[in-house]
Amino acid sequence: MRTSESPAPYRAFRGLSAFFWTEVRVQSHESTAMATSMVVQGVLLVFVFILDRSLLPVAFLGAIIFSMFTMGQRLLNEAAYVRIDHKATDLYLASPLTPEAFFLGMAAGVMLVYLSPVIILFVFAEIVVGYSLPTVLLLVGTGALVWLFSASFGYVISTFFRDNRAIWAYASLIFNGFGVLPPVFYPLSYFPAALQPIALMLPPSAATALLQASIGVTSLSIGAIALAASALAGETLAMFLFTIYWARRKVRED
Amino acid sequence: MPGPAADVSAEPLVARDLRKVYTTRGSPSVEALSGVSLEVRSRERVALLGRNGAGKTTFLKIASTLLRPTSGTIEIFGHDADRNPDRARPLIAVVPQEGKPFFHLTPREQIYTYLRTRGLSREVAQTRTATALDQMGLVEVQDRLAITLSGGQRQRTMVATVIATHAPLLFLDEPTIGMDPFARRAVWAALRELTRLGSTMLLTTHYLDEADALSDRLYIVERGRVLMEGTAEELKRSVGGTLKVTIAGQTQHVDLFRSFGTVMTDGTSLTVIVQPDSLGELMAIAVRERLTTTVGPVTLEEAFMRAVGRSINEDE
Repeated sequence: MRTSESPAPYRAFRGLSAFFWTEVRVQSHESTAMATSMVVQGVLLVFVFILDRSLLPVAFLGAIIFSMFTMGQRLLNEAAYVRIDHKATDLYLASPLTPEAFFLGMAAGVMLVYLSPVIILFVFAEIVVGYSLPTVLLLVGTGALVWLFSASFGYVISTFFRDNRAIWAYASLIFNGFGVLPPVFYPLSYFPAALQPIALMLPPSAATALLQASIGVTSLSIGAIALAASALAGETLAMFLFTIYWARRKVRED
Repeated sequence: MPGPAADVSAEPLVARDLRKVYTTRGSPSVEALSGVSLEVRSRERVALLGRNGAGKTTFLKIASTLLRPTSGTIEIFGHDADRNPDRARPLIAVVPQEGKPFFHLTPREQIYTYLRTRGLSREVAQTRTATALDQMGLVEVQDRLAITLSGGQRQRTMVATVIATHAPLLFLDEPTIGMDPFARRAVWAALRELTRLGSTMLLTTHYLDEADALSDRLYIVERGRVLMEGTAEELKRSVGGTLKVTIAGQTQHVDLFRSFGTVMTDGTSLTVIVQPDSLGELMAIAVRERLTTTVGPVTLEEAFMRAVGRSINEDE
């Protein structure tokens, strides 16, 4: 037995591009799901439009961040579906495709396809509100971080389930809970003051707090900005690195 | 055909004293493999034959680097599949048990994109996709989404996906499950062609005719152990005769036929294994006792029954 054999030269994202396009092809057939991916955001925007139109600039930003956040839920569903229902994960993981590439390819494929309704929402928001360039750039940056956090989180969570029916309930609870209850669609100042530091540490509401500050709806101290920015970046990086580790670990059952 | 970078000089698969114990919180431990040792040599088609729950899939998952053994060693082309799976994975391809293609890909897209994820060029992937579709009889449905295909067509798509890789070592877990007889024969022909081209394969099955027709050697597995190993002919010879006489509904006549050879019963009929030269005498007794008999060649079923003590269709 060759216990002294050196490890293979490892290319962490081998196969990423090809698997990404595979996932894009798979997801692009889900036109109904793409359309319904905007239902929660749309309903909340309608409520804001009816109740207090002055909050539309906040609500549009929240809707876009929420859309990026719920992509993690779609990845959770997809990863679990492919593994549990299709039993196709083994086909891909017992191959040169690396587990990191499997995770990131699937995540990016889901994101690319579901980005199109988000872009439509953004164009609509620009027509209605008209954000400044710095706010748009901040929206792109924070949106990307929120997506990476939620995709990583969703992939890890997907590995714990053995039954698809259980996933729908928990996934909906987790993603709507963290995406709707904290101040994502409404100003941070409406949130209880004692709980605001917590909101600044949750990626979706940290992103929207920064965005709200950039349009002048919310006033944040330097410390609060630093807390929100470092929480968003730090938690995203930590979650992403953990997911890379977890993806490799979970290739093989113990 | 092995890829250009593949080091395939060593034996495709060597397992030594492989054990696997599943431990789940709140449930008693289950020993799925109890010291399995086996080898698969270059260009062989080897079948693991066993009942449901015998340990076949567990072995295949360990061999395909997707499950860690509790103890023992397993090498794929000389690479330790447990400690260094990244070296083994480029050399293998797996048809998972009950695996399904992506429903929103066509068979052509499924095969082509899978080959691309394995690093094959567009040209090679296109050529091999076309060949695999043809081999598996999928040309007519190649551009239909998998969600619209029958279960057998989906299974053929999975097999086509894997055989198109030309990986040096293929693992196929119940590859023809759910297929009609024509499709099964198409798969067998494709697998024979692949071994002719240089691939090696290990498959699990509980179809005795498949193991007989397809495998160069087979291992009979029961309760996590290898009970017998050999070619189909060797296993059949081990039964003790070349003919089987089946006597329906007369299990009480065991003693009457014991002197002719091995007598087996499944509770509803007697099967007597005999040599051709004693068939006449046995048939004379059967006629005298007015017993309904059928005579045929010994099959793997008798070898399996003799080794395991039960039919392959009985669940664990």
